[in-house]
Amino acid sequence: MTRGEGGMGNGEKYAKVDRDILAAMEKPGRLYLAGLAVAASLVVIGGILWAYQIRSGLGVAGYTHPVGWAVYITNFVFWVGIAHSGTLISAVLYLFRARYRTSFNRAAEAMTVFALMVAGLFPLIHLGRSWLFYYLIPYPNQRQLWVNFRSPLIWDVFAVGTYFTVSLVFFYVGMIPDFAAAKQHVAGIRKRIFSVLSLGWKGTEREWRHYGMLYLFLAAFATPLVASVHSVVSWDFAMSIVPGWHTTIFAPYFVAGAILSGTAMVITLVVPLRKAMNLHEYITDDHFESIAKILLFTSLIVSYAYIVEFGMASYSGNIFEMEAFRYRALGEFRYLTWAMIFCNSLVPLTLFAKRLRRNTTFLLVVSLLVNVGMWLERFVIIVTSLAHDFDPYVWGTYRPTYVEVGISLGSFGLFFLLYLLFVKNLPVLSISEIKEHL
Amino acid sequence: MADRRIFEDREQFLEALRLLVREGVPRDRIRVFTPFGVPEVEEILLGKRSKVRFFALIGAASGTVTGFAFTILTSLSWPLIVGGKPIVSVPPFLIIAFALTILFGALSTFAGFLLMSRLPSPSGIRSEEEYGNAFVILVEDGGRR
Amino acid sequence: MAFLEKKGGLAVLIAAAGALMAIVSLSPAPGRGGSLLLAFLFFVAVVEGCIAAAAAGATVNARWVGSVRKELLSVTPLLLVASFLLLLLIPFVDSYPWAGRPGIWLRKDFFIGRNLAFLLLAYVTARRFAASPADGEGTKVRAAWYLFVFVVSQSLTAFDLVMSLEHPWVSTLLGGYFFIEALYGGFAVSALLCLQRSGTPPADRAHGSRSDLSDLSILMFGFSILWAGMFFAQFLTIWYGNIPEEVGFIARRVAASPMRELSVAVLFLLFFIPIPALLSTRAKSNPYVVSVVALSILSGILVERYVFLAPVVRFSPVALAIDFACLLFLFVAVVTDSRRTLK
Repeated sequence: MTRGEGGMGNGEKYAKVDRDILAAMEKPGRLYLAGLAVAASLVVIGGILWAYQIRSGLGVAGYTHPVGWAVYITNFVFWVGIAHSGTLISAVLYLFRARYRTSFNRAAEAMTVFALMVAGLFPLIHLGRSWLFYYLIPYPNQRQLWVNFRSPLIWDVFAVGTYFTVSLVFFYVGMIPDFAAAKQHVAGIRKRIFSVLSLGWKGTEREWRHYGMLYLFLAAFATPLVASVHSVVSWDFAMSIVPGWHTTIFAPYFVAGAILSGTAMVITLVVPLRKAMNLHEYITDDHFESIAKILLFTSLIVSYAYIVEFGMASYSGNIFEMEAFRYRALGEFRYLTWAMIFCNSLVPLTLFAKRLRRNTTFLLVVSLLVNVGMWLERFVIIVTSLAHDFDPYVWGTYRPTYVEVGISLGSFGLFFLLYLLFVKNLPVLSISEIKEHL
Repeated sequence: MADRRIFEDREQFLEALRLLVREGVPRDRIRVFTPFGVPEVEEILLGKRSKVRFFALIGAASGTVTGFAFTILTSLSWPLIVGGKPIVSVPPFLIIAFALTILFGALSTFAGFLLMSRLPSPSGIRSEEEYGNAFVILVEDGGRR
Repeated sequence: MAFLEKKGGLAVLIAAAGALMAIVSLSPAPGRGGSLLLAFLFFVAVVEGCIAAAAAGATVNARWVGSVRKELLSVTPLLLVASFLLLLLIPFVDSYPWAGRPGIWLRKDFFIGRNLAFLLLAYVTARRFAASPADGEGTKVRAAWYLFVFVVSQSLTAFDLVMSLEHPWVSTLLGGYFFIEALYGGFAVSALLCLQRSGTPPADRAHGSRSDLSDLSILMFGFSILWAGMFFAQFLTIWYGNIPEEVGFIARRVAASPMRELSVAVLFLLFFIPIPALLSTRAKSNPYVVSVVALSILSGILVERYVFLAPVVRFSPVALAIDFACLLFLFVAVVTDSRRTLK
């Protein structure tokens, strides 16, 4: 056995990787159980409130003329946006051969899958009569109707559905060799489950050869999804003629915003993860600096979009556009608009300083602010444009009720619950890729 | 009786493999197990480029065709004018076709991978033989495959 | 080019070309100003795009930048030429639809002033970036400054010079569309320069390493998809909303020949040709395929600028030919000159 530099042979190095990563799957500590309890209780509250809404109707939510889309759609767009960053890190960075990706990609892929699961709930919740969701699915039926393929809402079904399926496959495929590695270190029912999930992977030359091509193609397929899915979601708004919604920049603007909120969520999830599971050797400050740079870059794109939108509204001379943006900046929801600009455009500018980029506590704070800011951005875009469109006679306002707030909190609870379960039960870093790059 | 050699170190393993090939052992009798993908193995054993990419191409092409065919045929079968758009409106149908291209492409690539790698493999699931992080070379007899 | 080796030879050439273009564009015949505008739009996009490609590559430590950095950055003085051309366009500004009713933003002095300011700023930041060593400490910062100015400059070109021709049509995406196209063109030029430099590069597929040409092909492939996405985003929004002010913009460009054929040609040159051509790994390092694709991209950008302008601007073929010839000549001269001083 050759001795490497740390006095550790290769075999020992690989064994250490196994131990470190699989150590996370040991018995849970008290902090973990507390987090799990909080997340679970939020989910239960959200579920109860949704049941209440199904029983009593959408009137218990704050919807009223003219604001027919509000918090639920905000949540939908928010969670789909968060999912994009996961695919960016795992698929796009793979195509660019960015080494630093291996420390984040499993967590990021998990984030994508869970965020999409949560996002997918919101069109159902928002329907009110959630049992009628099957209207959206194109199949031959006795109503003699097909779905309206010209509607952006159907594009959503296809785009988000495709994205969820492909992300799930990508997530699972990435874990096949890791299940095979992990099954050797666990016992009992877990061993049986991991064996089945590993599909009997042995690591032969033929398997790795086909696996390499599969992974490359999945990454290549997932990459256009990063841009296209959130573009399609943005077209839910841009296809209308509502001032503040009907604008051509929405597609790239929303995609940049999605990656912004997604990288912020990655930081929010991975900074505590690294601390709790002692993974400082695998997830270094360099890695966080790279993610912070992506956050900064997308924040600049979002700021550009803000400037262009506000500027173009006044340039256009169109009284409806001008009024819509005046209302956004100075009207009833102005504090939310200013908070949004502060969190999304101004706070990330601090990341131009290298020292701050490498300070993980600061990054955590920035990421939390950006998460808030991006949620507010979707809310501001949706609600202000609907509350204040063409005809002054129908101008109105909107206040979310406890049902919407509760269900929103429930969605956060669901996301963190799924994530916490993932952390304890599945390998949280990509074992085989890390060994490969050792 | 197969000849099995186990290595902890990657370089030693590659050296031994190269030696085996130079000695004239037929490549199709050599089986290799590695904890992660080692590209040099492909070169030494002259593995052909994986055919999985054809599955990807066929899947993606069928996705595009299905996307357009499905949307156009269903629109024509119940021709309602919605939103003033033409019955066969290409820009929206393009989006659906794009989504299905990616979906079918990804799924068929995955299916192709499973097919070409002969997974799931019940022997692998039940197998008690675990090599851990070792690099293993297995040379089989002429009779066995 | 022996003339270039003389001291100041390049400056003389630039002055001569500039004088010729000035004479041509300032003559009172119709269509001179419009031709100059088209030449200016294409030229500025390619020049700023080349420098932006180098700057973008520098910020991410791209490997391919090393082989073509000097040539790409040698076009920096041409930004001054572009500024001069902008001044030559001052009389043409009077034929813009808003010229009779100026407002705060659309008024002749501010209009020329801000575009000129950002062109000059682009020159300054580009020079500072070019002066810094390839892997120096402050290089990335200078590259970032240039990229900021590039984004603003191209956005202003889009919104002011092109979009206001169709006043009151607005499209918030047009600025982004233009600077993405400029970057796209920059990568195409980089690919051509890379080919020129090393002749036929060996296709190096060992251990997953790639030749620079292959990297640039991947960039062109990706930007082709990005371009198509942005084109589609703008087109779809206008098509779906069906608002008369916006639809007019598209209708004037697809309703009848020859504009319809040219618009379709743009789609082919910028997307339907590059994508299948660059799909296979072998094609990505094949010099013939890459040069055809790069030329296709550059002609696509040119045709597209023509399509933007044609329904609203008059051209004179003679002026157009002279302007393009001068600018192409200058571009080639500057790049060849830089190669001569390459060690």
